[in-house]
Amino acid sequence: MRFTSRPKMNYMPGTASLIEDIDKKHLVLLRDGRTLIGFLRSIDQFANLVLQQTVERIHVGKRYGDIPRGIFIVRGENVVLLGEIDLEKESDTSLQQVCIEDILEEQRLQQQSRQEAEKTKHLALKERGLVMPRSDIMDEYGVQHQY
Amino acid sequence: MTDSEQPETETAVSQPQWPENGGQWSDEEGGAGMDECGLAEMAEEDEEIDIYNNETFGMEVGDTEGDPTNPLFKFGEKPPAPPALPSLSPSSPSFSPRARPQLRVQGPPGRRGRGQRGGQAMAQMFEDPAVVRTVEGRPSLQVITTLARSVVSKACREMLFSSYVGVSCNGDVLFTQVGGLPSPRPCPSTPQPLTPKMMQLRFGANSPRPSPFYSPSSNRVQRFRFPGPVTQLHPQHRRLLSQRQQRSQRKPDSWDPYCNLMSAKEKEWIIRLQMIQLQSENPHLDDYYYQEYYRRMEAKLAEEELGMRGKREPPKLTTPYVTKMDSYTPVVHIEGSLGQVAVSTCFSPRRAINAVAAHCPHELFMVLLEVEEGQRMKAQVLGEGEEKGLMEKTEIKVEYIYSQLQHPDLEAEEEFLPCLLVSKGKQLLARLLPFLSHDAALKVLSMVTSHLPVLMSRDADESLPVLYPSLRIVIGGMTFSQLIGVLKDFTTSLPDSSDGSVCLSLVCQSKFGLSLLYALLSQGERLLSSDVPLEPSIGDFETWTDTVFLVASQLSQSALVEPLLLPSNLLTLFCRYLDKRTIHQLKSNME
Repeated sequence: MRFTSRPKMNYMPGTASLIEDIDKKHLVLLRDGRTLIGFLRSIDQFANLVLQQTVERIHVGKRYGDIPRGIFIVRGENVVLLGEIDLEKESDTSLQQVCIEDILEEQRLQQQSRQEAEKTKHLALKERGLVMPRSDIMDEYGVQHQY
Repeated sequence: MTDSEQPETETAVSQPQWPENGGQWSDEEGGAGMDECGLAEMAEEDEEIDIYNNETFGMEVGDTEGDPTNPLFKFGEKPPAPPALPSLSPSSPSFSPRARPQLRVQGPPGRRGRGQRGGQAMAQMFEDPAVVRTVEGRPSLQVITTLARSVVSKACREMLFSSYVGVSCNGDVLFTQVGGLPSPRPCPSTPQPLTPKMMQLRFGANSPRPSPFYSPSSNRVQRFRFPGPVTQLHPQHRRLLSQRQQRSQRKPDSWDPYCNLMSAKEKEWIIRLQMIQLQSENPHLDDYYYQEYYRRMEAKLAEEELGMRGKREPPKLTTPYVTKMDSYTPVVHIEGSLGQVAVSTCFSPRRAINAVAAHCPHELFMVLLEVEEGQRMKAQVLGEGEEKGLMEKTEIKVEYIYSQLQHPDLEAEEEFLPCLLVSKGKQLLARLLPFLSHDAALKVLSMVTSHLPVLMSRDADESLPVLYPSLRIVIGGMTFSQLIGVLKDFTTSLPDSSDGSVCLSLVCQSKFGLSLLYALLSQGERLLSSDVPLEPSIGDFETWTDTVFLVASQLSQSALVEPLLLPSNLLTLFCRYLDKRTIHQLKSNME
């Protein structure tokens, strides 16, 4: 996935403005780890977003699958980052798209193996006297990590 | 002037066709409409429109050419009470000319003149609420016809549906978009005076796009409005923005049925909101990087132009962002927004200051900046009451920083040590020194000298010299006795060492230490050779002579680094006390 790299000059010196991003296709990364792709239709002063024709994209390894979601309204504070997608370069990727069921299954397996690895690690550390917080528990910011 | 044909056409064409190719336009009604018109009639109508515009709104000569919004503007100003204008109502009657960013239509335009067929086709398109809307009304008649004509004649290829409708055509009208990107507009040559009515309009929910301030840039055709009536962008910034605007508008976009969900007004609303939060009485302090960046860009441009056409004054931001406010409201509620905005000024920093973590130089820097700003403000002409208030505030801040820098649990001698060991702490102290009282400054100086070996050895990044200038000034104000006291620190030797002071030998290796020593000696010499009564304490002169001897012998023996500053009266000092040989050696060493 490649983003357009044109430098942006905006009205507000020293701040970021989403005005120029309106009506363009964007990739939005949320704090809960989800990746949304959609057309940015509207914003407000809190950087809440309205995404249209949104698709939730799940990546596992070199494969990905899309779940069409329609219209999203995202509260601004939950956005980690977003970037414009260059429509011409969008298909120019080495990633392989698979159907949703497959990718969900792969994701499930990935989650499973991660959790097992985490458990083993946690146990090993505990035996050595070190107790670390586990990743399937929320951190202080209320963010769950899936990856 | 109602067209009897119109209803039929409406029902017949229920679904507006978005043409994928421009050919359809010309082929269909537009073409037919065109034939009816004739070129001569077109030209005539254009003239009529121009005359109408000029008479009604007194536009400047040449404005109409580049003015993308002329006809549309007019509607906002004076819709001659057409029956179907409910959507215009919120804002229509009270706008000042050239201030209306967008217009609405109610259904298909009712009245038609010539070229109505083409107009009808357009009207069908405009029925779709997601699309650009045009105004209804008598002037709209002319606009619609012109619109139809221009659109039709140019064909789809040149229509930018997603951004704006209409196209410049033989110097015809250039339409502004109703949504999407801000449109290009010519800017009046002088800023509009802010009447109370206009002030009212500017900040309400229905406020129009305000007119920009004068910009030295001469690009009249494709300039666009800058939102935010009270915030002025740097001229360079404005130029860059307009360039970018031009570039982006030249790109034709493919049709997007859901675009322009956000109207231009809404976008401007957000921009204005964010701009207001950026307003500051003191942009150089609050928005330092922006100011600096553009100042440097200007300087570079000026330099380049210097070769080209002689010295030309680059456009400067001459007016402040905001006129000074007399009253201070700590919390501001912006109409129509959720929540409130905290406001802080140079005179009244945010309350968060009280919650600053102690011993953290970083936050103390902020307070220091404010103090320095206060000093700079003093240079300006202030009212008497304000000056006093400013002085008091400055003092409070200075004391605050001073107290924060001290560790409460250490002895009196070592208070500033932790702070001084950090390079940021050194910088902070260096900048704070000018503001401290003489006693406090002396305290700092004596602390520095008494811990000099430690400081010098721990000065890995060589940031000590930053203290030198401020300390030098402090030294310049010392009395003889104070000087002697400080000098003693240089010459104290460890109890079990037989040779000269360890400190002195270290000092010879340190730029800062050596410079400090020189400065002290120079001050002593200055005091002695001046006529000012010295009021020395007992034993001062002896200590002085001893010190000079000791220093001289040390300096002549060791290799010296280059000091930050070599006072001119040092050699005269040494000449008075020492023999020629030593002096000679000293001289060669010091140079």
